[in-house]
Amino acid sequence: MNPIDTTTPAGVVLALLPEVVLSLAALGVLVVNAWRHETAEDSRLAGWLSLGGVGAAMVALLWLWGGGASSSGIPQMVALDGYRFFGDFVFLLAAAATIVFSLDYLEREGIRGPEYYTLILLATVGMMLLAGANDLIMVFLGLEVMSVAAYVLAAYDRRSPYSAEAGLKYFLIGAFASGFLLYGIALVYGVTGTTNLVMAGAFFGPGSLPVMASLGLSLLLIGFLFKVSVVPFHMWAPDVYDGAPTPVTGPMATGIKAAGFLALTRMLIVTFPAASPLWQPVLGILAIATMVAGNLMALSQRTVKRMLAYSSVAHAGYLLAAVWTGTLIGAASVLVYLLAYALTSLAAFGLLAALGRGGERDLTADDLAGLAKARPWTAAAFAIVLLSLLGFPGTFGFIGKWMILTSLVVAGQWLIPVVLVLASAVSAGYYLPVIMAMYMKPAREGAPDAPRVPRGAAVAIGAIVAAILVLGVWPPPLLSGTMEIASSLFERAFQ
Amino acid sequence: MLLGPALAFSALLFSIGVLGVLIRRNAIVLFMCIELMLNAVNLTFIALAQYHGVGGQLMVFFVMAVAAAEAAVGLAIILAVFRHTTSVDLKTNTLLQG
Repeated sequence: MNPIDTTTPAGVVLALLPEVVLSLAALGVLVVNAWRHETAEDSRLAGWLSLGGVGAAMVALLWLWGGGASSSGIPQMVALDGYRFFGDFVFLLAAAATIVFSLDYLEREGIRGPEYYTLILLATVGMMLLAGANDLIMVFLGLEVMSVAAYVLAAYDRRSPYSAEAGLKYFLIGAFASGFLLYGIALVYGVTGTTNLVMAGAFFGPGSLPVMASLGLSLLLIGFLFKVSVVPFHMWAPDVYDGAPTPVTGPMATGIKAAGFLALTRMLIVTFPAASPLWQPVLGILAIATMVAGNLMALSQRTVKRMLAYSSVAHAGYLLAAVWTGTLIGAASVLVYLLAYALTSLAAFGLLAALGRGGERDLTADDLAGLAKARPWTAAAFAIVLLSLLGFPGTFGFIGKWMILTSLVVAGQWLIPVVLVLASAVSAGYYLPVIMAMYMKPAREGAPDAPRVPRGAAVAIGAIVAAILVLGVWPPPLLSGTMEIASSLFERAFQ
Repeated sequence: MLLGPALAFSALLFSIGVLGVLIRRNAIVLFMCIELMLNAVNLTFIALAQYHGVGGQLMVFFVMAVAAAEAAVGLAIILAVFRHTTSVDLKTNTLLQG
């Protein structure tokens, strides 16, 4: 494929093809909903149409990616590199899984309104723009497109006071964080006169940052760390993940976090590589605090949903440790871990959505007792997913953690890897009881039959579990691939 | 417009907004404080645009459009909460915690 000329309208559309296709699909679903929005059948139709839209966007993405799309050298607002394409791939997978999990869930919980699927598609477009953003304006717009759709999704179960409260908290904290991010953008713009990440990076050069730019970087970091729920900016996350409808919690805990981490990594490596003495200590300390606090708080949770919510905070800590390195292998391990975490966590929330009732806020480990006898496949899938979250050898989660550990040790750091290993050991204290309940405890007397996982969701979960196992046993192609993808970030960074 | 005073004033506005979010507990007031933060940033962009060209002014339009979308969604969510608890006070909306 020739380099795309982004000065022409046709070139711009081509460069943004997956995003354009997905946006059009979202609008198309909205138009269909204008006529058909009353019965459960209509909602299902919207779901299948959205799934088709995600598929079309995936085809467009693979076509661009496989053709080795590159730009003609002018600084763009959205990057054309493997790093963006990898992110888009993860988001589209997450969107597809979310839609499949939602099909039966919305019907079962009686949540009306097929606009739900439009919002999922729009949130995905936002994630794609954020992860590909090569310009601070685009960072802001992508973040907002993603977040505004997510605020509505969190509050989507209108009859549930928990869902409404989750939406309110998410909205207030999210908008607050955007304010910080925006002020950071303004200050960086004030120093450099540009909002382009590459050009701003070239402006800063290898020297130390001016005071105003350091201030801008700190504000940008605050904004990002709120979004990816790093301690001490995490207090909203468990409440929001807990209150939101479970299929929505999946993309909130995976896609949104992934988009935030990808954009943060790109910004730090492309624009602020020389300022690493400034951001590295901060990120290192916060990574340690997040790993420790997230895991300890997850230990004290009673319900499975809240436990998974806190564990998602802990995983943000592992990812932040990889971002801390700021090296090539660090960026590659961010990619590997994001894929591992996104797949695993989506399956976990998908299973939870299928097993629980009424928002799943009451489901404890004891409620899963005897699941291995009643539903052996479901129990096996849940066990594998939890082991992967724990980082058990033989699963994809282990490869991700091992990759992060390698990148940290290569960077000559010892404290963070030790904390990471200890924190993972602590996390066994809340993942394993769920597995033990499923396999070793008898079902309680008079407990209702374990619900069956709907067929569509079962297929999606089966595919994810297979991927977790395959990539956990045979990761070399993925590892070398991500190294190559991450290097696309460094080629254009000012060193 | 002088750059120094304009930047100082917008920094002050931004700080007032942040303080308001941290101190007040009424969802509507919180939302107003967040809007204040965004508008302080707009002022910064306008002031800087004198030196750096039209890019800063362009950004202001994006911020205003996004703020409008946020307002629509935010007020709808506040309304949804009010229907459940007849209160927009964050002190009484504490179902989720722990």
